[in-house]
Amino acid sequence: MKRISFTAKIIVLVFLAALILLLLAGCREFFYIPGASYGYYIWEEDSSIFVEWSVDRKDTKFDGRILTEGKITGYDLREWEEENDVIKVGEDKINFSATLGSKDYSDGFSFNVQDYTYLEFDLKINDGYDLSRINVGGFLENPENNIFRIEKDYFSQLKMKHWYQKHPFSEFFSKLFSNKYFTFIYLFILGIIVIEILRVTILTRRRKKIVWVTISYTSLILIEICIYFILKFLVR
Amino acid sequence: MRVKTFFNRVGSFIVTKEIFKDKKSLRTLYKYFLVGLLVRFIFIPFFFERDLLSTYQRAAETIYTGNLGLDNLQFLTNMIHSAYLFIIKSIFPAINQMSNILLEKDTWISWLSFNSSYNIFTVLTLFKILYLIFDIVCMFLILRFSFDNEPEKKLRVFKFWIFNPIIIFVLYIFARHDIIGVFATLIALMLAKKDRKYWAILTLALGIVLRFFPILILPLIVVYLVRTKKDYILLPLAGVSGLAVVEILFRLYFGKSVILPLLRTQHFEYLLSPRLDLVAGSHGGIFIFIAVYIFIILSFIHIKKKSFDILLNYCAITYLAFLGICFFHPQYMIWVVPFLIIIFVRRRSLLYYHWIQFVLLMILLIYWGDLVTKYVFAPIDHKYFVYLTGIIPIIERFYDSAKFVNIFRSIFTGVSLWMIYLIYKDNKKILAGELKNRGN
Repeated sequence: MKRISFTAKIIVLVFLAALILLLLAGCREFFYIPGASYGYYIWEEDSSIFVEWSVDRKDTKFDGRILTEGKITGYDLREWEEENDVIKVGEDKINFSATLGSKDYSDGFSFNVQDYTYLEFDLKINDGYDLSRINVGGFLENPENNIFRIEKDYFSQLKMKHWYQKHPFSEFFSKLFSNKYFTFIYLFILGIIVIEILRVTILTRRRKKIVWVTISYTSLILIEICIYFILKFLVR
Repeated sequence: MRVKTFFNRVGSFIVTKEIFKDKKSLRTLYKYFLVGLLVRFIFIPFFFERDLLSTYQRAAETIYTGNLGLDNLQFLTNMIHSAYLFIIKSIFPAINQMSNILLEKDTWISWLSFNSSYNIFTVLTLFKILYLIFDIVCMFLILRFSFDNEPEKKLRVFKFWIFNPIIIFVLYIFARHDIIGVFATLIALMLAKKDRKYWAILTLALGIVLRFFPILILPLIVVYLVRTKKDYILLPLAGVSGLAVVEILFRLYFGKSVILPLLRTQHFEYLLSPRLDLVAGSHGGIFIFIAVYIFIILSFIHIKKKSFDILLNYCAITYLAFLGICFFHPQYMIWVVPFLIIIFVRRRSLLYYHWIQFVLLMILLIYWGDLVTKYVFAPIDHKYFVYLTGIIPIIERFYDSAKFVNIFRSIFTGVSLWMIYLIYKDNKKILAGELKNRGN
């Protein structure tokens, strides 16, 4: 009973920690922690485009422009400080300039746009480009050019991306697959150790131990073959 | 028959006679060994701290360019890594493919290139196998330290080593080379147990050259081993002979000193940093660790019947006092483990406090920032872990991160001091037991 209550406490604590993080992120679709995370965060929610930025409490300037061939029909500001932050919204473009600091954790805006096929972004941090800090639709979904365009269906296409195609899994699986010989030798060694553990524990009192060991090694080889095809599928 | 005898001897040599003769114990030991090995292998290819790369970069400088004097403070450690790198580079082409990265002078570029290379898992595994070898040797060495003719207790010592979170973290996640120095220290203690006093001290001298920390237990081992008045002079001299030899060699070949830079290094400064100013603004002050250290040594000197177990307990007390009072790097915690695990068998409560120490250490890692927290996972996907929001900005968002860490650091000190008290109580128990035995 004591053990259960201790486990329950741990679960509650973990749950509370997760909840605090979620609250910090403001239950947005895009997870970042204002005042701790650093960069631009752009996403689509209820057919509005959200552009927000945050920095780890250092004085930082965020400025840029957004262009479209469609029509901007409305906008909303978030945590906007009139004395530091400027935004000009036209029919087809938005210009903004804002600063964050030790007490200003994040700023941002959202806008609605109609009849468009693309959005063009030119986003700067401290008057320079840092593309790895511009997250479009997901963490580390970075643009390739300083001034970049996204198509209308960009966000819906991004949602179709599987977990294994995203960081850090994509890179991890890619390294495992590109270094096949290591991966299979490594897994084989792990397998041998596991089989040995089984041999000296579960299989000790079984009859026909050799048959079980043979089955275990055959299974290991089959698992290795499966892993090869799984990795091949994941990194395709 | 001869073959069987030979294997019996080898078996007894590795796992001790007591365990080898008892089939049940032998099977349990094998089971522990396999599970421990599995845990180690799971971590080996995927994590490292930047210093591992620096260590092998120095070794690469030695074998590719012939530069021997790069790391004069840890000359011998560099030689061991160089020899090992030379062997693995001759066998595995993956190492040669890394030569440009290993010789890159820019630390950031070399770190990025290393993490982004496709064969990083192979190279990390090969780099860490050296530590695995020393780890395995140490886990069998430690079986011989205590509990003679008590195979079950020996088994528990083995279990505490093989599943020790500090050992696994420092060697296979953090990937630091302290285990080489620990190995030399364990050999020295083995020799001390067998009363080979000069060999013991000379081996410890080697340990001091490998890593500075065995010097903390040198006075204890000297006090334990002295039998004649002559020993009081010869043994301390033998203890620092390793440093003296390296100093002379460096003076002769490179015209440089080793000892003077050593006194200016962090290792030594950390011992002196905790100080108590006697008068504000004056020069008068007390180095707290030195005062405590002298107290520990004097306390050991005044024990009339110094058994080997008491010596091990005092070694644990010394390292716990160092960890409790001084600033330390995460890998320094490994130095207390060999001594603690023997005490765990007698005092189970210490094991729980050790786990608390480990959990607190994970929080103390915040002291050193991204390099020892999220960057440790960089081999998996360096871009992800470089741009992932670090733990320090998250804490800073609510509270001063230095204060936050120092609260946990203070708890760590409290736990360490309490552990010292428990070991002191264990000392009394051992001494009482010995007195009783003598009375009988």
